[in-house]
Amino acid sequence: MKRNWKSLLTGIALAAMLAAGVFAQNGTDVLIRNATVLTAAKGTLENTDILITNGKIARIGKNLRAPNAKVIDATGKFVTPGLIDCHSHAMLDSINEGSYAVTSMVRTSDVLDTTDVTIYRALAGGVTAANLLHGSANPIGGLNTVVKFKYGRPMAEFVFPGAPPGIKFALGENVKRANSNVQPGQSRRYPATRMGTMEVIRDAFIRAKDYKRKWDDFKSGKTKIEPRRDLELEPLVEVLEGKRLVHAHGYRSDEHLNLMLIADEFGFKVATLQHGLEAYKIAPEIAQRGTGVSIFVDYWGYKLEAYDTIPYNAYILWKNGVVVSLNSDSGERIRRLNLDAAKTMKYGGVPEEEALKMVTLNPAKQLGVDKRTGSIEVGKDADIVVWSGHPFSPYSHAETTMVDGEVFFDRKQDLARREQLKAERERLEKLDANLPPGKRGKKEAKEDDKEEKPEATPVPTKGGNRK
Amino acid sequence: MNRVISRAMLAVLCVLTLASAMSAQVGSYAITNAKIVTVSGSVIEKGTVVIRNGLIESVGAGVKVPADAKVLDGEGMTVYPGLIDARSTLGIPQTPPRPQGGPSAQNQQDESISKYPEGLRPEVTAASKIKAGEAQFASQRNAGFTTVLTIEDDGIFNGQSALINLAGESAAEMIVRPSWAQHVSFRTLRGGNFPTSLMGTFAALRQMFLDARRHAKILDMYEKDPKGMKRPDRDISLEALIPLLKGDQPVVFTANTEREIVRALDLAKEFGLKAYISGGQESWKLAGRLKEENVPVLLSLDFPKRTLSEHKEAEPEPLDTLRLRAEVPKNPARLKQAGVKFAFHTGELKNMREFFANAREAVANGLSEADAIRAMTLSAAEIFGVEKQTGSIEAGKIANLVVVKGDLFDEKASVSHVFVDGREFEQPKRPERPAGNAAGNTSGAPANVAGTWNLTIEPPGQTIGATLVVTQQGGMITGSLSSPLFPSTPLRDGRVTANGFGFTVTVDVGGTALDVVFDGRVTGNEVEGTVDTPQGPAVFRGTRTPR
Repeated sequence: MKRNWKSLLTGIALAAMLAAGVFAQNGTDVLIRNATVLTAAKGTLENTDILITNGKIARIGKNLRAPNAKVIDATGKFVTPGLIDCHSHAMLDSINEGSYAVTSMVRTSDVLDTTDVTIYRALAGGVTAANLLHGSANPIGGLNTVVKFKYGRPMAEFVFPGAPPGIKFALGENVKRANSNVQPGQSRRYPATRMGTMEVIRDAFIRAKDYKRKWDDFKSGKTKIEPRRDLELEPLVEVLEGKRLVHAHGYRSDEHLNLMLIADEFGFKVATLQHGLEAYKIAPEIAQRGTGVSIFVDYWGYKLEAYDTIPYNAYILWKNGVVVSLNSDSGERIRRLNLDAAKTMKYGGVPEEEALKMVTLNPAKQLGVDKRTGSIEVGKDADIVVWSGHPFSPYSHAETTMVDGEVFFDRKQDLARREQLKAERERLEKLDANLPPGKRGKKEAKEDDKEEKPEATPVPTKGGNRK
Repeated sequence: MNRVISRAMLAVLCVLTLASAMSAQVGSYAITNAKIVTVSGSVIEKGTVVIRNGLIESVGAGVKVPADAKVLDGEGMTVYPGLIDARSTLGIPQTPPRPQGGPSAQNQQDESISKYPEGLRPEVTAASKIKAGEAQFASQRNAGFTTVLTIEDDGIFNGQSALINLAGESAAEMIVRPSWAQHVSFRTLRGGNFPTSLMGTFAALRQMFLDARRHAKILDMYEKDPKGMKRPDRDISLEALIPLLKGDQPVVFTANTEREIVRALDLAKEFGLKAYISGGQESWKLAGRLKEENVPVLLSLDFPKRTLSEHKEAEPEPLDTLRLRAEVPKNPARLKQAGVKFAFHTGELKNMREFFANAREAVANGLSEADAIRAMTLSAAEIFGVEKQTGSIEAGKIANLVVVKGDLFDEKASVSHVFVDGREFEQPKRPERPAGNAAGNTSGAPANVAGTWNLTIEPPGQTIGATLVVTQQGGMITGSLSSPLFPSTPLRDGRVTANGFGFTVTVDVGGTALDVVFDGRVTGNEVEGTVDTPQGPAVFRGTRTPR
């Protein structure tokens, strides 16, 4: 018992020290010393120091002095900007509102789960920000949320400050419900064809224009009664006004091209084509419109419309001047985006820095946050990863991941904490509430049995008697 | 040991069977020589409470016993204010679950003029659904509860809750406060109608509040000057939201996790709603914000406990789950310390013993007994705005009282009398001997439910056949339940109830042991009742094979 107490106290002290080390750096300066820095903007800098002040990159150079800064010795190590996943469903308690074909009234920001362990695992893979998207059940889906992965922090601190709002669109099999069964008693949802999908989108924008006109009339005094605020159409008006980014899921190039033609018709730009497995077929048309593409680097063949891609997709798009990013769309793949970037060097020969940009600066551009993050440059947020070796090597791993200059993942500390978590688990598993139903409160039950049960007593008894 | 258990079972059984036969009278009473926990004032170590015409006439150490009062000797007894369950579904008949994916609510026979689907109708009131009848309240009243806040737990807008006393000839007589608050659950609608996702639920709520705000404006405009203006359509659903937007009627959000509570508070802020939290399992994590925004918590004492049976090859439970079960009993003390207002409720607890066991656990984790009592009495009354009428033992207040042999926090304590609106409910004495008898009687003897029953269990959208073999010994039943879906499983906690039988079986579903609770009403050789499963409720019916 005495020993247990002692180890418990040591555990608490250790936890406090670790917590102080990992999380209490807000406001303190950090100096990363002697690293190979892949800036994702201005080439690779050898034996370079990075000074972080107030969560921002303050200086980049050699032999920087900062007497009060916490020093991370990165000799022999590599530093990159924090990776950004332009297509993720992490942190979402619900992903699809599949009842209607147009669900621009729903918001992913309403259903964020900051306790999702995917966040921590992503940090361990060097990911510091993500575009959290509605699913692909509808031609026009819900609103997105761009977040920084500040694991352990309150919800409000996750939302990327100043990130332009976005919305999910989707095309193809998922939208026309090709692979889902109709519920008994329900009719098949419109649209059931790719043709119908385009009609739904066009119709929604015509309605959005009408809606805008109603408000314009009211604001200019033409009408007396305030129009109804319509949460479905408001975001579409923002799209028309260029204030909201469209992230459009699609596989086939004909559909992505059709969507861009609709966008031309209504005078807006599609921000990103998501997945774009065949985007290489329409690379010039995409480049011409300044639309970005966010793809899987080498993942295909899992359904009919996903057959016609090639691992050279990223290379061809890049060669045509398209801003390309590589996304995960998965809680598992989100941990290896660095290797996805490496593959673009193998297939086609994308230069190293351009490859790195595909998981850093390019997604930042596509999400409109490249002024804040995505590269290692003075003045940007200190979203930084220290890697044990070159990030494109499968033998390397993220050692330290920082968001706004704060460490949210540290491999050494993670390893050290495992013993402590094991001890905590052992202690917790012995608690009555954590015992299986049959074993709970055994001790108390025996004591009870020795004595006469009181008469007609709905009031008492131990919780332990619940079997 | 068996004898002890069977005697205990018998005792419980008798409480249940006699519940409906108990005499309930209004008159004048004097409880003398009792310890009186007034809650509003200091504890009176030895005193008298006089009850007349449904009210507390006087209370104190030196109170004279009126000549016409029936005297209850309170020697060794403690008198408390009647307990209040701050969130319940008592008194509201359960609507049978609709089959999943069935026809939408609009296609079914629907008598409402609301244009919104069922589940998004804030105009629905609990008060209009309450059925009077003493028996349904027996187990809770016998445990010391005199008052509950009741509201159906269904839909996104659950409707408007009513505070009721657990006795009365009619619903009208029972209601202490109708339509206290609107209740909101962050859940989806059934049958494939929007919203089918949590995201959609928030969109639906937000759009309705926006529409209600606009509707109120237009109604106002029309009220002031109808000339030349098209008469606005009336909308009973939106109009039920106007008092919420004006802050006249509170909104109780069912929210347990930290993020659910944040979502509730954010939504309340967005529309200026007067928010309350119900459930509140992780509310200590937001104690600061709850205090700052003056949001009281209707705190469930349904503490989470492991339900998985032991299995060597099972994955270990997540650390977060283990931590949560350890932390939840500390929640009440933490809220108290942070200055957050709270009252207790029974949550999903079926067994009132667990309510008190968990209250004791809260006390063991730092809450004072006085604060625990307060959370079951006066604090609840204050939250519901009826603290001038009830919640403490003071002259002039409603005579809602519970008389306990010993102390409420003593495990061996037992309730001897409950007064609801001055009506006395005496706990029945132990009967001399049990006898086999036909089901449905109220003579106090257990019914005969033994035999082989062919059951059909009807979870939404399916029908499962099952065979139930029951052996009866007095008020206890043992036996087994078998079905094509699971092997023969022994019954646990088998008992004869007031009008049938009840038992629990643990069914193995893909490595997870689920507790399934059956509660059936027997009429001759027919049985029908409800099945409570972790996946949701179902109904069952069956017949007994003649011997």
